[in-house]
Amino acid sequence: MRPTLLLLFLTTTWIFAADYTAAERRHWAFQKRTQPEIPVVDKVNYAAAGMNPIDGFIRQKLAKEGLKPAPQADRLRLIRRLSFDLTGLPPSVQEIDTFVADKSPQAYARLVDRLLASPRYGERWGQHWLDLVRFAESDGFEYDTHRPDAWRYRDYVIQSFNQDKPFNEFITEQLAGDEIDPSNAQLRIASGFNRLSAMRKNAGNQEVASSRNEVLTEMTNIVGASLLGVTVGCARCHDHKFDPIRQKDYYRMQAHFAAVYENDVPLSSPAEQSAWKARKDVVDAELKQLKTQMKGLNGDALMRMQARVKETEDKLPDPLPALFSVSNDYEKFKPVHVLHRGEYSKPGEQVGPRGLGVLLEDGAAELGPDVKTPRAELAKWITDGDNPLTARVAVNRIWQHHFGRGIVATPNDYGRMGQRPTHPELLDYLANRFVEGGWKWKPIHRMILLSETYRQASQVQNAAATEKDPDDRWLWQFPKRRLEAEEIRDGMLAAAGRLNLQEGGPSVIVPVDQELINLLYKPSQWAINKDARDHDRRSVYLLSKRNLRLPFMEVFDSADLLLSCPRRDASTHAPQALELLNGRISNQMADALTARMVEHAGKDQSKQIELAWLWVAGRAPTQAERRLSESFLKSQPAREFALAMFNLNAFLYVE
Amino acid sequence: MPYEHSRPTRNRREWLCDAFNGFGALAFTSMLQQEALLAAARNPLSAKPPQEPENAKAKSVIFLFMAGGPSHIETFDPKPLLNELNGQKRPDHFGEAKYQFVSKDARLMGTKRKFQKYGKSGIDVSDLFPHMSTVVDEMAMIRSVHGDMVVHSAAQYQLMTGRIIPGFPSVGSWVVHGLGSESESLPAYCVLPDPRGALEAGQPMYSNGWLPAVYQPTMLRPGNTPVLNLNLPKGVDLEDRRKTLKLIRELNEANQGFSDPEYAARIQSYDTAFRMQTEAPAVFDISKESQETLDLYGVGKTATDDMGRRCLLARKLVEKGVRFVCVVHGGGPGDQQWDAHADIEENHPRMAAQSDQPVAALLKDLKRRGMLDSTLVVWGGEFGRSPEAEGGKGRDHHNLGFTMWMAGGGIKGGTIVGATDDIGLHAVQEPHHLRDIHTTILHQLGLNQHQLSVLHQGRRERLTELEGEVIKRAV
Repeated sequence: MRPTLLLLFLTTTWIFAADYTAAERRHWAFQKRTQPEIPVVDKVNYAAAGMNPIDGFIRQKLAKEGLKPAPQADRLRLIRRLSFDLTGLPPSVQEIDTFVADKSPQAYARLVDRLLASPRYGERWGQHWLDLVRFAESDGFEYDTHRPDAWRYRDYVIQSFNQDKPFNEFITEQLAGDEIDPSNAQLRIASGFNRLSAMRKNAGNQEVASSRNEVLTEMTNIVGASLLGVTVGCARCHDHKFDPIRQKDYYRMQAHFAAVYENDVPLSSPAEQSAWKARKDVVDAELKQLKTQMKGLNGDALMRMQARVKETEDKLPDPLPALFSVSNDYEKFKPVHVLHRGEYSKPGEQVGPRGLGVLLEDGAAELGPDVKTPRAELAKWITDGDNPLTARVAVNRIWQHHFGRGIVATPNDYGRMGQRPTHPELLDYLANRFVEGGWKWKPIHRMILLSETYRQASQVQNAAATEKDPDDRWLWQFPKRRLEAEEIRDGMLAAAGRLNLQEGGPSVIVPVDQELINLLYKPSQWAINKDARDHDRRSVYLLSKRNLRLPFMEVFDSADLLLSCPRRDASTHAPQALELLNGRISNQMADALTARMVEHAGKDQSKQIELAWLWVAGRAPTQAERRLSESFLKSQPAREFALAMFNLNAFLYVE
Repeated sequence: MPYEHSRPTRNRREWLCDAFNGFGALAFTSMLQQEALLAAARNPLSAKPPQEPENAKAKSVIFLFMAGGPSHIETFDPKPLLNELNGQKRPDHFGEAKYQFVSKDARLMGTKRKFQKYGKSGIDVSDLFPHMSTVVDEMAMIRSVHGDMVVHSAAQYQLMTGRIIPGFPSVGSWVVHGLGSESESLPAYCVLPDPRGALEAGQPMYSNGWLPAVYQPTMLRPGNTPVLNLNLPKGVDLEDRRKTLKLIRELNEANQGFSDPEYAARIQSYDTAFRMQTEAPAVFDISKESQETLDLYGVGKTATDDMGRRCLLARKLVEKGVRFVCVVHGGGPGDQQWDAHADIEENHPRMAAQSDQPVAALLKDLKRRGMLDSTLVVWGGEFGRSPEAEGGKGRDHHNLGFTMWMAGGGIKGGTIVGATDDIGLHAVQEPHHLRDIHTTILHQLGLNQHQLSVLHQGRRERLTELEGEVIKRAV
């Protein structure tokens, strides 16, 4: 044997001897968390001095890079930044005044605590979670059937954030709430997590096996993406090309879900159910008759009949309320096999449930066939304090939403193709505190928000730093950000005095151009809420329909509702300008803002201008801005001034 | 992250144009000018050179999407044996097929269409397409296309995005991502839907997926407001709005202490928006076209008016530099698409009569304007139709072998590529998966499926997902 071949032979044998090579196991994200010390920077001992530990970690890197932190931001900017960040809404004028007037050193901390305790907090941070788990209220695909009870999951998420539910419980409830206590409605709703994906249903021959395969794929992939931050989905057809995730690992992960089926838990009485069925039977009979008559029809006659069928279908009674949930169905259970190239028609070896091998010892056993709560077991593994991924992934998401970029900039991918952490010690430090503190989010928010790093000014003129670190990776200033779609809409509603803060309940359908509704396969699905006050509710309470995203949301980079969205884009393009200049929402809000200006300031134009700036930009106008506003209003309509306000960078960005 | 978030939509040329006309003529500090140039350099929509200039024959694509799945057997793929086997069960040696509705007991059904050879190339076309048959010498007829899915929604996703599930970027978004825009006042990627209603896969099939919203399609809807938000709100006149825009710019600049490329980009996006608003409507208006052109497309004739307008508009858009236009024929209930489950002899002649003349006119019009060489035209549906009858007179969906054609944009006209078996069931010679169609589209534009990839959540994603091959004999 030639030496090279021998070497090759030996290497391959060695690779196959262990399940995972030492090099594979060495990847930073699969290592146990370290216990980093809070650094001493420039002879300042952050720990001993009782200073914010985050600043220690950040300044250590800044010093190493030869960068200086920015000065602290002024109070006006701080309260606007903090309000949007924690609640997705602008501060009210009274809140601004109180904060600016409060000279106590505790004023800022009090503000942080007040905002963290606000029910608006869950509405904002719940949305981040809903993006991540690709929450929507319709099936997608052909029929895009609505899921009339999915809002219960949305409310569950918002409430969980407001209660600061420990994250390990939050995850466990979602993965396995139905296994833990099937009689607990909240837990049943939480486990609806497992059926949030788009779902293909079509007429005719159902490809049962391939559809089931798609459903299982979705259940498995979302766990990797949203909870573990690894792209397990890449190992469905073959071993992962870059990360130590074998195809077998993938199907072992999937095996936890082998028994899961959709399950709607009725909330109505048997009497209500039979009355409902009686009403449905009448329409069904009518439909059956129409479809018999339809046979053999052509052209116009057929079209007329199809229209009648659609009309009749609309008479079907709305589904009765139910919990949107799942359960294990061992009658339908089929064992999971490794599928050759991911094709359901090519099953290979049968596998049982197990976590990712690279995080386990070689040869770790699968769960036995008698395990009755496989998802609870999966949750236990994911939320184990020693799982190196879960806590890092969670605190990184918190960090990312505060600073626009995570310590790991690829929040759903901690593998080799993902980016390495800019501040690995800080990441571990935060993750440790998170786990020790009982997996609660609010203390982590608090630590971050009270840091000087977060309180830095943005838009700092620092040519050297801009040159050296244009992306602000080392946080030498606070990175300004464009408001997200919901913040822009909710912010306009708030500034115009129209925001309806009603919480929870079924989602709202707002008016959109008829042409868009006509593009739906079934236009009658878009049943607009009759009470116009509902149209002014927060964006998180608007229906998220997969085949009709609100154009306003779409153009401002809202989540696409189909795949996990860990981070929104913030693009800048002309259709955004057209939406804000000519669109329905901004123009309605411009009218409302104009009315509010008159209501509060009468004919006093100077006061009108002052108020508009306070409501929209969170500050009084500068002299130049006031002069421009006044001169415009001399000849132009006030509602055009109001509209201009919503188009300003001073509104669309937080600094 | 000021830089990462900076996605201005204007290029250097546009900026220069602005700086001396219209809104751009308003005062600019020199700092702002520099910044604008910087922002322009980062414009994701500025025209980009092709990755493989030696292959770049086409600059634009018009995708004629025959929704619902036209039958290859009734159009471009004559099968005499099928007529002989009419009413019989499929002989075993042809192999298996899965259908949406028809079962194993279904009987083969011959076609009533008559085929004839046309053009110098002598390509067979059925009597459904008397107009298209006059331009076969421009077409590469790919008779061996196949896809993975036999239901509309998933097959439409595959045709448009390369994936059988929604959520991925469409071919139009990928192309604009790769090449940017040549137009200064029009959206780079337009979809012209059929006014009769939606398709099964809905809006997500045309979408930018996880690519930034700057690559999203613009739906040019039927009726008076083709583009959302392009018209001024009721009661606002253009002169007032011009002043409002001036105020926005002045306030934004007053508020800006120093150079910031992202703020500058947003200020510029208002100039583009204003230009779209004032210039685009003229492009959308086809009434200024000559009567001869209108007649060519069949505008004004009941059957062809609708599709004729869309095909003509597609030409106008491409002429103005739009990169990718998707013209949809068929919409609403299946019967109003090419989805001939009930009666192929009722559905196909009707659908053909609506689109034959407009499609042929598009090729002729592009050619006489010297635009065909740089415009790739692709014709096809999400699948073909079954050799077996459904309910006696219809045909079911069929994804294992069907026909698409390409023309212009460097395509070798008068070519036949591949073949299905003798009953039109399987693609047996030179089979080409839908991803080969995608690969060929990219190739003709000078794009490369591998280079045109984006790292998304740990995976290098590309339009073709797996490696596609260029349909060599067609190019």
